Amino acid sequence: MRLPRIFRTTPFRLTLLFLALFASAASAFLAYIYVATAGEATRRTDQEITREMHSLVAAYDRAGLDAVNQSLIERAASERPFLYLLMNNDQKRISGSIEESPVDNFVGPARWTSFSVTDQDAQGHTVKHPARGLQQRLRGGQMLFVGADIGADEAYVNNVTRALQGGGALFVLLGLAGGVLMSRNVTRSMVGLTEVVDAVRNGDIGARAQVRGTRDEFDELAAGVNEMLDRLERSMAGHRHAGDAIAHDLRSPLTRLRARLEVAYLDVEAGKGDPTQALAQALEDTDGVLKTFGAVLSIARLQAAGTAPDPVLFDPAELAANIAELYEPLCEDKDIDFDAEFSKDLQARGNREFLAQALANILDNAVKYTPAGGAIMLRVRRRSSGEIEFSVTDTGPGVPDGDRERVVERFVRLENSRNEPGAGLGLSLVAAVAEAHGGRLELAEGPGKVGEMGPGLRVALVLPRPA
Amino acid sequence: MRILIVEDDLEAADAMERGLSEAGNACTRAADGEEGLTAARDGEFDVMIVDRMMPKMNGVQLIETIRREGDQTPVLFLSALGEVGDRVAGLQAGGDDYLVKPYAFAELIARVEALARRRETGSVQTLLRVGELEMDLIGRTVHRQGKEIDLQPREFQLLEFMMRHAGQSVTRTMLLEKVWEYHFDPQTNVIDVHISRLRSKIDKGFDRPMLQTVRGAGYRLDA
Repeated sequence: MRLPRIFRTTPFRLTLLFLALFASAASAFLAYIYVATAGEATRRTDQEITREMHSLVAAYDRAGLDAVNQSLIERAASERPFLYLLMNNDQKRISGSIEESPVDNFVGPARWTSFSVTDQDAQGHTVKHPARGLQQRLRGGQMLFVGADIGADEAYVNNVTRALQGGGALFVLLGLAGGVLMSRNVTRSMVGLTEVVDAVRNGDIGARAQVRGTRDEFDELAAGVNEMLDRLERSMAGHRHAGDAIAHDLRSPLTRLRARLEVAYLDVEAGKGDPTQALAQALEDTDGVLKTFGAVLSIARLQAAGTAPDPVLFDPAELAANIAELYEPLCEDKDIDFDAEFSKDLQARGNREFLAQALANILDNAVKYTPAGGAIMLRVRRRSSGEIEFSVTDTGPGVPDGDRERVVERFVRLENSRNEPGAGLGLSLVAAVAEAHGGRLELAEGPGKVGEMGPGLRVALVLPRPA
Repeated sequence: MRILIVEDDLEAADAMERGLSEAGNACTRAADGEEGLTAARDGEFDVMIVDRMMPKMNGVQLIETIRREGDQTPVLFLSALGEVGDRVAGLQAGGDDYLVKPYAFAELIARVEALARRRETGSVQTLLRVGELEMDLIGRTVHRQGKEIDLQPREFQLLEFMMRHAGQSVTRTMLLEKVWEYHFDPQTNVIDVHISRLRSKIDKGFDRPMLQTVRGAGYRLDA
């Protein structure tokens, strides 16, 4: 049999568990109260019986059996709540308010007993009351019994017990009701989340949980789920975009390659072209496509991941110095004045390989566009904001203000650079690396126009302050 | 050289086998990891070329297994996975070099030769000698015909690598990876410029150039 949903919820089960624990504690408590009240009543009765017995025994010791007998008769007439019985040596009744002793097989000097007395209540019904009594042998061998009706005490204890039982039942009922209420509340809070999870499972990645602003853990969970879904959606979009981009980016170079091969094939077939040269050209073109593919893939992966893999803390000056060492001879070869300036004791966090490649790409560009006699400056410093800046300033033709955003886009090559080698992916990769590190790429005008030279370009890769 | 090719792409394996055989090597082929393991256990090879992703047993598992068994044959991993992490994982498994697909054939041959050669010079050397050229690895000095040649630290490393692989073609990518430890391809000819600087130091003023340019491949240091 399947229980209704509410009984299967965690809060309801927790309520039951809590209730069980509380009920055990409450039972122990009730048991204690019972023992304390009922026990106390019995103890008090016993004390009173003992006292009465003492006073009678004292009377006997002082004045003999007759005095006791006399005293019993007097007491029976008064409103004392005791039952008396005085018996001779043969256990025959001499006097008293009861006919025979409730004590059987009496031995020893004194004995306690519990028994019941018959009485009539206000309506004339016969009722039995519980009673306690003490029987004691007098010095002369006679027996004296003193008892007391403890019906009133018992009734009191019974009332207490009933009250306790009623309270317990009420408690359990209220607890159950509370549990149901709580479960319904929690269930209502969970339903939204469950619906979102179901929707996402069925392919609707755009589903979001409602955040009610109550700032409780359900709200936190809902907000967390939403954030997770946001990231997931972004990442999925990134991957989709990366796929589209790769397809798009490779179509043109592959189309070009195919066209060239086709022309070469036709030429060779017509006996016009040199097959070896055509093959060499095709190989070179293929390498170009592969290089483009590698760059596009790197960019797409960085953009899709959104973060740089395996980040480490490193000294940016050292990274820059290594790259400077790689490019310095190239500049010298082209008669470009190469200068480097690194601040000491800096720290940055990132993927060294990607950052080295980004710097290399920036320098590649600078070397490519700076004419002989020009200058390139590589600088690493900490900005006042705490960000780490790698900058490369050259004295090439620069990039006009309106084109600076555009040159970072993939495959954008300005008119005057069409005849330079390269696929136009260099700065896109730098931008992707910068963004993957939580930083950015900044393009600005260089040192300005000097004669034929300039105004130059200043490319800065800015990394956030390491945490 | 005896070369074991473990590659599940049969066409690629064909091309490799043809090229390597033409270069004077004896090739054995295996089409998956398990076959590769059997072949590696049965035969003696100078170099193994192992594809990373294969059916049954992948390249990393294969190399981990033979390394555990004490086989120290140099291994060149081939892989379509070119991320730094993939490379590191391949080298940690016991690979000696890592070539990302697609590759130029000259690159493959150069790396296979470099690996085979490395095995021969296993002991620690303090002095390298290639023809007239002498390199003292402890004193960090280089002499040609007894004349000291002054080198920058990076030029020294570059020459050391060339001397250790004397007589073999060494590609630009190999130099960038092994000397500079960069795993990307710069667009411009940075390596060429470094080589030409080195060349002007070790060859200028001598009757015979030692540092050769190999067309379509890279460079070679001849005795």
